[in-house]
Amino acid sequence: MAILIGKHSRIVVQGITGREAAMIVEHTINYGTEILAGVTPGKKGQSVYSVPVYDTVKEAVKKHQVNTSLIVVPPPFVFDAVLEAIHNGIKILVITTENVPQLDVIKMLAVAKKQGVYIIGPNTAGVVNPGDQIKLGSIGGDYPERSFVPGNVGVISRSGGMANETSWMIKRAGYGVSMTIGIGGDSLIGTNIKDLLHLFEHDEDTKAIVTFSEPGTSFEEDAAEFIKNGGVTKPIISYVAGHFTESMPEGTVFGHAGTMISGDFGRPSIKMQKLKEAGVYVLENYDDMIDVLQQVLGSSEMIDLQQ
Amino acid sequence: MGKILEHFSKKLIRKNGVNTPDNWVVERGYEARNIIFNKNIVLKALVPVGKRGKAGAVKFPETAEEAEQQTEELLKMTVHNFPVNQVLVEEKLNIKEEWYVSISIDSQEQKPVIMVTTYGGMDIEDLAKDHPEKIATLHVDPFDGIHPFQIKELWSSLGVTGKVLVRVTEVLSKLYDIFWKYDCFILEVNPLALTKDGNIVVADSVMGVDDTALYRQSELAGMVEVGSERSWRPLTELEKQMIEVNDADYRGTARYTEIEGGDIGFMCGGGGGSLVSFDALTRHGGKPANYTETGGNPPVEKVYGLTKGILSKEEVKGLYVAHNISNNTQIDVMAAGIIKALNELKIDPVTFPVVVREAGVNDEKGRKIFEDANVTYYGEEITIEQAALKMVKRMEEVYGWQS
Repeated sequence: MAILIGKHSRIVVQGITGREAAMIVEHTINYGTEILAGVTPGKKGQSVYSVPVYDTVKEAVKKHQVNTSLIVVPPPFVFDAVLEAIHNGIKILVITTENVPQLDVIKMLAVAKKQGVYIIGPNTAGVVNPGDQIKLGSIGGDYPERSFVPGNVGVISRSGGMANETSWMIKRAGYGVSMTIGIGGDSLIGTNIKDLLHLFEHDEDTKAIVTFSEPGTSFEEDAAEFIKNGGVTKPIISYVAGHFTESMPEGTVFGHAGTMISGDFGRPSIKMQKLKEAGVYVLENYDDMIDVLQQVLGSSEMIDLQQ
Repeated sequence: MGKILEHFSKKLIRKNGVNTPDNWVVERGYEARNIIFNKNIVLKALVPVGKRGKAGAVKFPETAEEAEQQTEELLKMTVHNFPVNQVLVEEKLNIKEEWYVSISIDSQEQKPVIMVTTYGGMDIEDLAKDHPEKIATLHVDPFDGIHPFQIKELWSSLGVTGKVLVRVTEVLSKLYDIFWKYDCFILEVNPLALTKDGNIVVADSVMGVDDTALYRQSELAGMVEVGSERSWRPLTELEKQMIEVNDADYRGTARYTEIEGGDIGFMCGGGGGSLVSFDALTRHGGKPANYTETGGNPPVEKVYGLTKGILSKEEVKGLYVAHNISNNTQIDVMAAGIIKALNELKIDPVTFPVVVREAGVNDEKGRKIFEDANVTYYGEEITIEQAALKMVKRMEEVYGWQS
C-alpha cells in the first residue's frame, strides 16, 4: 500500500488554473491518477481537464471529501494556502513552490506539526506511487513509466530530478519502486529523510531504501543517528552528491538553496562517514547503485520488465 | 539570501528605535580627516563579510594624519576576496562592557533562535566551545512570537539585574522585531556596547535578509546584495551577465559560477544532477571552467544565453551537457538553445568536443536536433557518470593527454 499516498488519497490541487499547475494536472490525469477537485479563488465553475474548480478548499472538501492537497501557487500565497488546507482538515500536503519566504515556511511547518499534518516540500518535484499509479507534482513529467515501475524499493531524494534518475537507475538494476519522494531542495522542509525512513520501515511493500543527498543541512546526520538507534532494520543504500563543494570556499550555494556548508556542518564526507557508521551501504560512485542493489536484494525481488 | 552592508543595517536599526553610533561612508582619506577633526573615530572596511577585526580591516586612528593614512590603507585592501571600495567612519564609543546578541533561524528546530551573552566582543564560536554556560539561548515559537518576559528571563539567567535588565530587555525586543519585520535570516550584534554614560548601543551589526521575501520589503530596495550566497567573492562580469540572462524570463533557471583554471564548459542540471555531473567529471580528470545549474523547463532564449556565456570564456575548449532524466525540462528546447549558440559562435563539434546526455520530455526530438548538428548525443542509453567519462575521453582524443 506504500506510504502517505495511495488508493485512500482523495486529491485536490490548490492553484489549479495556473500555467504550471495545468500542465501537471494534464500529465497526472494521463498517468491514471484521479484528481477530484481544484481550487483557485474567483474561478469557481471553471474546469481544468474536466476537474471542477472551486473558490475554497472548504467547498472542495464538502463536495469531494478531499484529504490530500497538491499546492502549486506563487510564493506570496503559499502560507495562506497551507493554513486553508490544514484548517479544512487536509492531512497530507505536497508543496511544489520554490522561493517561499523562510519566515512563512517556519510558521506553516509549526502549524502542521501541531496538527499532525504531513507537509512534503516546499520546493519539491513531488511523489510517485507507481503501484497505485498515483503521482503528485511534476515528477516523471509526461512519461512517468520511463522511470517508475512498481516494486519494493523506497526512494528518498533531496533533488526532484535525481528522484527521477534514481528510480530509473533502480529500474535499470532490475527492480521497481514502492514509492519515490522528492523531499524538496530547501533546508526548511516539512518531512525529512529520518521521518520517511520511519514510514518505510513500517511499510510491508518496501524491502530496501535508496536515498539521494546533497551538501548542507543535517538531514543525513539525523538519519544516521536514527538508524544507529535501531529505527530502521531494512537495508539502506545512500549516495551523497557534491564532493567537489568541499574544496570550494564554504558558505557558497551550488544548485539547491539547501546546499550550504559551514564549518563541518553539511559536509558530504561527514555525512557519508556517519551513514557508514550506522550500517548504511554508502556509494562512492552513483553508478555503483546498480551492483549494490543487486547484491542487497538478489534476484527474488527483480521485476519482469517484459510484462 | 542577501547580505546588507553595515551602514544600511545600522540605519534600519536606528530607525526602529535602537541606538547606533553616528557614521559616515567615505571613499577618500581626506574625508576621514575632516571627520576626526570633531570627534574620536573608528574606521571599518565596508565589505559584506564578517570577522573584519581579525583581518585587520578595522582601525583606530588617533590623529588626523592617521585617519587619512589608515583610510587609504583600507581602501587598498581586499578582505576575504572582497576589494574595499568604501570605508565606514564611526564615532568611537566609550565602552564599559561588550555584550553579544544574535538572532537567526535554527534549521533543525525550524524556529528563530536568540543567543545572548554578557561576554561579547570576542569570537562567539570560541566562547561557545570553552564557556557554553556563559551563553543563554531561546527558541521562539514562530506562530506565537515572543513576549518581553521571556527576553527578561533570558538576560536574568545570565545574572543581569537592575536598571540595565529593564533596558536591555527593551533593546532585544526591538531587535527581534527588526529581525522579523525585515525577513532576516541573521541579525548579529557584536558587540552590543554598554557605554560609560549608561547607553546601550549597537556597535557592530551583521544583517542578512531572505531575498525570496524582497517582494514585500520595498524599504530594503537598493540595500541587498542579491545572490551573494552563490559566490565567495564579488560577482564577475560574466556572472553578472548570466544573472541578466536568468532574470530576463521567469521560466526555468540558469545559474552560473565561474571557476578558475578549467577548460571544459559545464552546462548541466538540475540541482542534484549538476552536482553528480560535476563530481563525475572531476573524478575522471576533467577540469570544468564553471559550475552551472539549469532546469525547470527554461525557454530557448535562456538556454541559448547561458550556453553562449559558458562558451565565451576564452579557456573553454569543450562543452559537457548533462541532465538527470527530466521531470519537466523539454530536451528539444534545450537542444535548440544549445545548437543556436554553437552555430552563432561557429563551433564545429568535430574539432571542439561537445558531449550531451539529455533524456526526458521530448527527447526523441532533441536527439534529432543534436545529431543533425554532429554533436555526440546520448539519451537514456547511458548514465550521467558514463557520459562524464565520454567527455573526458573526447577531450583527450582532440587535445591529447594535456587537456
